[in-house]
Amino acid sequence: MRPFASRRLTNSVLTVAGVAGITAWTVWQENKLGRADFHTGYVLIGAVLFLACYNLRKKLPVLPWTTSSAWLQAHIYIGLASAVVFGLHVGWKVPNGFLEISIAVLYCLAFVSGIVGLIWTRTLPPQLARLSEEIIFERTAMIRAQLRDRAQRVVLESVHASGATTLGEFYAERLQEYFERPRRLGYYLWPTNSLRRELLAELTAVRRYLSDPEQEKCEQLFALVRRRDDLDFQVALQWRLKGWLFVHLGLTYPLVLASCLHGWLAHLFDGGAL
Amino acid sequence: MLDLEIAVNRPQRWDVPFGSDMRDEDVDRLLQVEPFRSMDADRFPAALPLRGILQNDTRITDHPDGSIVVREGDYGHSAFLVLRGRVNVVLEGLDPETLGRPPKASQGLFRSLAKMWRNPSLPEVRKHPVAENKLAVSRDQTGDLANTRVFLQDVPRILMGTRSVSLHSGEIFGELAALTRTPRTATVLADGDALLLEIRWQGLRDLMRRTDALRHHIERLYRENSLRVHLRETPLLTQLPAEQLEAVAAETVFETYGNFEWQANSEADGEQSPTSAIVNEPLIAEEGLPSAGLILVRAGFARMSQRHGHGHKTFAYLGKGQMFGTAEAIESYRSGNTAALTTSLRALGYVDVLRIPQSVLDKHVFPHVPDNLLETLHDKRAVYCTHHHCDLPHEKIGGQPGSVDTALLEFLVESRFINGQQAMAIDLDRCTRCDDCVRACAATHDNNPRFLRHGQRHGSYQVAHACMHCVDPVCMIGCPTGAIGRDMATGTVRINDQTCIGCSTCANSCPYDNIRMVEIRDSRGAILVDDATHQPILKATKCDLCVDHSGGPACQRACPHDALVRLDLGNLGKLSQWVNR
Ligand code: HEM
Repeated sequence: MRPFASRRLTNSVLTVAGVAGITAWTVWQENKLGRADFHTGYVLIGAVLFLACYNLRKKLPVLPWTTSSAWLQAHIYIGLASAVVFGLHVGWKVPNGFLEISIAVLYCLAFVSGIVGLIWTRTLPPQLARLSEEIIFERTAMIRAQLRDRAQRVVLESVHASGATTLGEFYAERLQEYFERPRRLGYYLWPTNSLRRELLAELTAVRRYLSDPEQEKCEQLFALVRRRDDLDFQVALQWRLKGWLFVHLGLTYPLVLASCLHGWLAHLFDGGAL
Repeated sequence: MLDLEIAVNRPQRWDVPFGSDMRDEDVDRLLQVEPFRSMDADRFPAALPLRGILQNDTRITDHPDGSIVVREGDYGHSAFLVLRGRVNVVLEGLDPETLGRPPKASQGLFRSLAKMWRNPSLPEVRKHPVAENKLAVSRDQTGDLANTRVFLQDVPRILMGTRSVSLHSGEIFGELAALTRTPRTATVLADGDALLLEIRWQGLRDLMRRTDALRHHIERLYRENSLRVHLRETPLLTQLPAEQLEAVAAETVFETYGNFEWQANSEADGEQSPTSAIVNEPLIAEEGLPSAGLILVRAGFARMSQRHGHGHKTFAYLGKGQMFGTAEAIESYRSGNTAALTTSLRALGYVDVLRIPQSVLDKHVFPHVPDNLLETLHDKRAVYCTHHHCDLPHEKIGGQPGSVDTALLEFLVESRFINGQQAMAIDLDRCTRCDDCVRACAATHDNNPRFLRHGQRHGSYQVAHACMHCVDPVCMIGCPTGAIGRDMATGTVRINDQTCIGCSTCANSCPYDNIRMVEIRDSRGAILVDDATHQPILKATKCDLCVDHSGGPACQRACPHDALVRLDLGNLGKLSQWVNR
């Protein structure tokens, strides 16, 4: 078996076994009318703290004894298992009380964002790798400006060479904004190639009115439109890969704080257990 | 209109002479001293006259008392002839610290954490920009940083108790390291003021070709000093009785192919079509021709290929210590008829090989090798990995090439990435472009990332701009202060920041653009400038594999998705394991 496949199998088996053990223990406790909520609570808060500690590991790359990839493996499987512990802890129903509902919402959002992130981190990189050009995210604005300048130059050259303004007018009407502005938020969330197809089709339609020198420039515009779209696509995917982690991490800290508060209050109001 | 063709003179070998100030009188005087006096000028072709070699491939260098001529562990491309004065060859290894290469102990966790905490917020801040050890540096009068000399102070005390040999005028040294591109085995210091003639590799090779006495002298040195060790490292010869090994050593033929300065041509090579690039590589052995014995790669790289359609298909590359033509040689031995080669072998850049003729194999080797070993060697035609440390069990002697697709192999060969023992390979299908690797690198290097997450791509694989700690570290040739050096135990190529004088020789030599010259600043952020020239002080920087942190390269450990690895690209076994994860 390939190493990744065997790692997946081992981790899944361990997770299922762990979850089954905790579930069986909780059911057994409840059957004998014992209380499991403190125990499941501790396991859950332990899991959440461990999951949050991944951020700490990332901040301390000099730590010699762990790799980030091993942490992520533990993170994913413990994260998945924590959902069952969460279910057991809240008794598989919507909790009541403002703090409890808030924690449940935060946890669910963190969990869902984790799952979404996992899917994206596995599916978006191959889409990026298929593009012919690899860009560094921080250089996007510069590349965008270069493409815009080149497009403008091509159009001006076309006007100079032919004396006709057909291509220039088309540029001003349809392409200028495309080259000058970043895409809208909707595109970043769900990039499609509809605008690219639309613009290329319109450019093809304009082509029949162009003289030979303009035709040549038009070809260059075709290439630039495609490159700009590829760039936007790449940026959108990279933005999504960065953005989800931002949300995921943003949910972590309130979740950790609220969970700790909840645990403290639980002890405080549990017949003087503190 | 744009010109499609511009006629220029084809670059010639002697366009850039080794020493810019070799005058005719100097050459005349050289022709009066040995060994040049006894050389027969008529044996040199008109295009490559003896005078021309002396004029263009040599330079006369002055070495004041105590200056280091060559440093143990350095890589060099030249040999030296003592013209006047004396030099001391220090036979016992000098303390690396004395030579300006203090070993770096890896820091413990708490020191690493504390250091990370104190990382300056500005880039390239240096507390101690210059050396504080026993080395003294003297600048060249013309301002040419590459001609800077490094001195050892208090030489008698340093040499006290160490074994050293004195070489006088007329004696040659450094030729083996230059011809085989292996690290210098001893440090040589000027003993009193010495005048030396430095002969670059190409010139030495041509002088040897046309002067039997010089060739025999150098071959004898090699036969005496290292050939036996080299032969013993070959699986086929490991168990050979000493007497037979002697016979093999006596009959082994030395051959050199290709261009030593491959890095200078690698960019131009990249512009050729792959088919013509292969055809232009010097042939060492050709598919279909009768096998002429066994070929052992002594240094450099060679490509094994087979004809395919109108081109040639690469299916393995060989490096130091590997054999070619084993199966055919065994077949010839068994059948009594000379077998034809089933693959070709071509020099990638420059290759140095040893050829053991078939008659020697038949007489002194095969009869002494157990049948089962012969069988194994015969069946495993291609050797699997190029570098020494091939640690997969089935790679010991051979094996069919791993399941690495040919296109990837061709890419690695054409871009010469096979040179990299610790290349940074990124699987773009897994890389989320999170830059955790870059941040980890910065955190472990005073806030300065030492690589670029960018580089040549093949499909979904990328080789990033990070020092690959090459088998053939061309960056180490010509460093005037020896600031760039290889750690013999780990193979890591490191730059001593304090002794680096910013001449850029290493950065210009690195064919992969993996060394960056940076301007440095003091802790308040002021750029440091040279007192004399008012130019910013530069330092060469590159990946050091996090040698001073325990746990290995931080980049690899910081990758959450197992996308980035430091990989020996010369090891096909490791590569195939990685691509088939
Ligand atoms: C529910 C509680 C969870 C918490 C508190 C949590 C917390 C965190 C934290 C702190 C990070 C590190 C972010 C950074 O510093 O860059 C992280 C990363 C991540 N988490 Fe979670 N997580 C949770 C659940 C999950 C789940 C259920 C999954 C998926 C099954 C998941 C998948 C990931 C992934 C894929 C990463 C990022 C790896 C990368 O750097 O690309 N998380 N999480």
